[in-house]
Amino acid sequence: MSDRFPLDLTVNGQRYQVEVPVYHTLLDFLRDDLGLTGTKECCVVGECGACTVIVDGRTVNSCLMLAVEADGCEVITVEGLAVDGKPNALQRAFLEHGSAQCGFCIPGQLMSAQALLMENPHPKAEDVHEALAGNLCRCAGYEQITEAVLAAAEEVAP
Amino acid sequence: MQAFQYARPESVAEALAILAAHGPGARILAGGTDLVIGMRNGEIRPTVVIDLKRIAELSAALQVEDGHLRLGATTVMRQVERSPEVLRYFPALAEAAGWVGSVQIRNRATIVGNICNASPAADTAPPLLVYGAVVLTASPSGERRLPIDDLFVRSGVTTLQPGELVTGIDLPLPVKPMGSAYTRLTRRRGTDLASITLCVGVDEAGVTRLSYGSVGPRPVLVVDETGTLADPQAPDAAKAPILEEMLAGASPSPRSMRAGPEYRLAMLRVLGRRALQTAIERLAKGMAR
Amino acid sequence: MNAKVVGASVARVGGEARVTGAQEYTADLKLFDMTHAKLVTLDIARARLISIDKTAAEALPGVLTVMTAEDLPQPVPRFGPHVDDRPVLAVGQVNYHGEPVAIVVAETPEVAEEAVRRVKVEYEELPAVVTVDAALAPGAILVQDPSLRRAGDPLADTNKFSEYHFGWGNVEAAASEADLIVENTYEYPMVTQFAIEPHACVAAPDGDGLVMWTTIQHPYQLQRILAKIFKLPLAKVRVYSPDPGGGFGGKQWPHVQPAVAFAALRTGRPVRLVLTLEESFQAVRRTSAKVRYRTGFRSDGTLLFEDVDSSFLVGAYADIADRVVTKGNWLAAGPYRVPTVRIIARGVLSNTPAATAMRGFGIPETAWAREMNLDEGALALGIDRVEIRLRNLARYGEEFVPGETPADGRWEQTVRRAAELIDWGEPLPAGRGRGLAVGCKSGPTTGISYATVRLLADGSAILLCGVSDMGQGARTVFAQIVSDELGVPMERIEVVSGDTAVVPFTQQTSASRSTVLFGNATLGACRDIQAQLRTVAATLYGVDESQIAAEGGVVRLPDREVSFAEVAKAALSSLGGEFIGNGMDRKDATPGHPIKGSAYFFELNCTAIEVAVDPGTGELTILRHVSVSDTGKSLNPMQVRGQDDGGAIMGLGHAMMEHYIFDEHGRVRNLGAIDYRIPTSKDLPLELITEQIENGDGPGPYGAKGVSEGTILCVAPALGAAVRDAIGVAIRDLPLTPERVWRAMRDGK
Repeated sequence: MSDRFPLDLTVNGQRYQVEVPVYHTLLDFLRDDLGLTGTKECCVVGECGACTVIVDGRTVNSCLMLAVEADGCEVITVEGLAVDGKPNALQRAFLEHGSAQCGFCIPGQLMSAQALLMENPHPKAEDVHEALAGNLCRCAGYEQITEAVLAAAEEVAP
Repeated sequence: MQAFQYARPESVAEALAILAAHGPGARILAGGTDLVIGMRNGEIRPTVVIDLKRIAELSAALQVEDGHLRLGATTVMRQVERSPEVLRYFPALAEAAGWVGSVQIRNRATIVGNICNASPAADTAPPLLVYGAVVLTASPSGERRLPIDDLFVRSGVTTLQPGELVTGIDLPLPVKPMGSAYTRLTRRRGTDLASITLCVGVDEAGVTRLSYGSVGPRPVLVVDETGTLADPQAPDAAKAPILEEMLAGASPSPRSMRAGPEYRLAMLRVLGRRALQTAIERLAKGMAR
Repeated sequence: MNAKVVGASVARVGGEARVTGAQEYTADLKLFDMTHAKLVTLDIARARLISIDKTAAEALPGVLTVMTAEDLPQPVPRFGPHVDDRPVLAVGQVNYHGEPVAIVVAETPEVAEEAVRRVKVEYEELPAVVTVDAALAPGAILVQDPSLRRAGDPLADTNKFSEYHFGWGNVEAAASEADLIVENTYEYPMVTQFAIEPHACVAAPDGDGLVMWTTIQHPYQLQRILAKIFKLPLAKVRVYSPDPGGGFGGKQWPHVQPAVAFAALRTGRPVRLVLTLEESFQAVRRTSAKVRYRTGFRSDGTLLFEDVDSSFLVGAYADIADRVVTKGNWLAAGPYRVPTVRIIARGVLSNTPAATAMRGFGIPETAWAREMNLDEGALALGIDRVEIRLRNLARYGEEFVPGETPADGRWEQTVRRAAELIDWGEPLPAGRGRGLAVGCKSGPTTGISYATVRLLADGSAILLCGVSDMGQGARTVFAQIVSDELGVPMERIEVVSGDTAVVPFTQQTSASRSTVLFGNATLGACRDIQAQLRTVAATLYGVDESQIAAEGGVVRLPDREVSFAEVAKAALSSLGGEFIGNGMDRKDATPGHPIKGSAYFFELNCTAIEVAVDPGTGELTILRHVSVSDTGKSLNPMQVRGQDDGGAIMGLGHAMMEHYIFDEHGRVRNLGAIDYRIPTSKDLPLELITEQIENGDGPGPYGAKGVSEGTILCVAPALGAAVRDAIGVAIRDLPLTPERVWRAMRDGK
């Protein structure tokens, strides 16, 4: 038992074996230790969703998860969505539909949308609204975000 | 966030030993969706945080055995919301779990954490009360089975003893066909803390179990055995006084930012009538046994 | 030939960075040797500081400094957009919940946080005023010491920061002719910008100057204010402004930035401060308002007069709120032909966080009251609520406010279209209602923008742009203009912004001005290059200049056409080099104008809403939300829609759920995301239709007007009217929470 802890995890396909202070959140670890600043910090109470990442296939608010809790996990952040260095279908759809305005909430929106499409390739608008309800957008680009998710589903799903 | 020690026991016994060794400085970490907030804002400053998620016996799959459904101490809301067994036998619990926070929160927040925090607004408390859930605990002095109605004292306070750990929840399978419904009152449709939580269960024998929260220091369970409430044919005039008496336990705080006491009391009646109606309809449709 | 892109929904410049996580916001920056700051604030609104004990904090390993007002130059510098009333750190007293009393700098954020807990502040609570009524009550405490007020200010010993009298005609005479007079008082809640990106700042010493990275809409105004505080030449203050993650007006003016700069100079190292969301709520908010409208009608619905008494609650410091008072109230009579108007408008100081600019800039506060009152008149007279608006609406070219810019759009077209889209007049089932409202806001009344375009030797181009791209998509629109005017494909244009040392001055990014002001400047810079190319082409091709035209990326010679890129390559082949074009647009103050400047253009919007009210709970379901705006010309329709959808939803947030809640000590009880609710993806109207009217009648490029604020202006009265239509009771306070609607239904009239 210690206030530092050895962490062995995979982030965006890359394995890391590092020691972290146990009082650092997964968000701190991603942003400060790995420099993955695409994951954003806003409310730090799990309400805004700006810090959303995917851990073992499920979205979490990384501000509410200690880094040590991700030991042995597979983490995907917005930086891990690209395929061969190019935006994936979902990211392209966000671009094409003007979904990203100021852009600050967009990494979180993308992670929630990605997780939705992983488990439900044919979502309806209300499924998108439910899946993304934990991601606040003050530009309130919800309509264009929803359209992008539905369009990406069309493109990707068989 | 300030430093603490992190423990990741692999058995309940190990967890209990650490709990015992650290006394009140120890905090249990399951989903962390409340604990981490408290630690960050300095309200909770534990000496040791005991993470339960590596204890295999606490995370068993939701399954039916011996006439009940067991939920583990690390079972998360998302599992409850989607479990075929919960949907089949305890649909109002699935509804309630589905209302908790966002998908991100429900992927982490545990149902046991929800009741152990003893928030009067906890969404899962009313259905657990209606379904007669039993809380399973372990401590150095042995194991206990605690009816959930005996758990809650007031906001943040339960009857759990120092060093006692909740290891799961048992939900007895309904012996008679039952219809149930969960409803809540919020300020917006998106994720929100409820200003009323309410659950109704009516069974074939005419027993109505009603539970409501967020209108007093703890969630309340009341039972009507007259058969009148559950009777689809009974006129509103007959039901109203019974409902009125059942809701008399509500004492909403005038300090709340979310809704005034007058509104809460009025809405308790509106939501109570609506949920009762839904439960009766569901019983008739045979949605749940 | 390059396809024309103006008017097309081209993808956002910077869009790819936003969807890959590569976009760097202020809080993402890491500087070598960077330190971390936290603010010390008190859990009280107003208090006298007795002592601040920093010893325990300073003793903590890793703490570099704990600065209070005593560690600043004396007298402590004060600053503000117009009046220097806000101290860098609290002096002797705190005047609102969250006013910083000290700034702690440490090697890590954790140490800074712990140090903040160890700063012991002894204070004595003082009574606070947090409402218009309390601040204006006889004998109320004074929020600002009279010594802080402008010399000779006759209001100095009151909480009235300012009081304006606008109007024309004689109200008493008009009232004697009126067939109906409707008088009501309306309140607009205290709401906040809630940009998802919290405010952030990194400051560092820079040789004999100062450098700062921060979340700011007006980097050049911050530069001016810092230069004044630190007595530095403008050239020695460099402000970098990474794209803000949402501004909505809240990031226009500095609040904590000077304190961070002092901390950087004291420690000699870069100092980083990122506000929590809670602190952001305490840093910026919109003016709340209490507004009385007395409206006179003829029996045929013709407006005879508006008599308005308006109190805008500003904070403990003025910030830009006085301008919100003037701009929000000068047009209080709306886009209507009103022969007689009297407006008394005041800014009222209070012990609340400083009110600053926010989307709509005072207009939502007055439009809420005016449009609701207009509906009352229509109902009393038995006149259709759309008809009464059309009857009084100013027509194109009409000087509806004396001395003001005439109506610059076919506004009746906007209103008719909104009515059509909401199926106005079609029957509705019980429990449902429709409302329609009109909002009108001046764009900028003064302003200036300089643009520089560099056409490089290979035909690619760089635009230097002083506008902050905070989500409105400024860079995209300007790149589109450059693309069309110089024939350069979008992907060969780089827009450089966010650095006061490199990019020419733009006064502000506010008031939906940039498409017009900076757009015109960009157009001017492109035309400058076109003229240069024409001259160069004359020499290159041996043709007289008078026979050459240069536009749209093409030089037209008598016998052929040559692309700009080819001309540039030919002209610059030997030495390299580039063509530099400069452009400028300005809107000057208007001598004698009551608010100093006439509108460069108007943002005119008509919003119509169909709502269903739950008769048991008072919950609202927005079945359809229609918002039609006059944009003149939408240069990028996809981005216009983003702004218009966003303004509409933000307006619904204000109208349905947002408000600060104070306790009896003047503390804001609902700081942060848990108890201050904004719309989520589950709170949308079932159907949202935003449309634009494009008649090419704006002063901007290709006939554009500004957009971005229009759709928020009159959401509240459209919803309020719809609710009134559904339940038969008018509600005059916002937000229209289920509880408030339920109470209205229960209490009736």
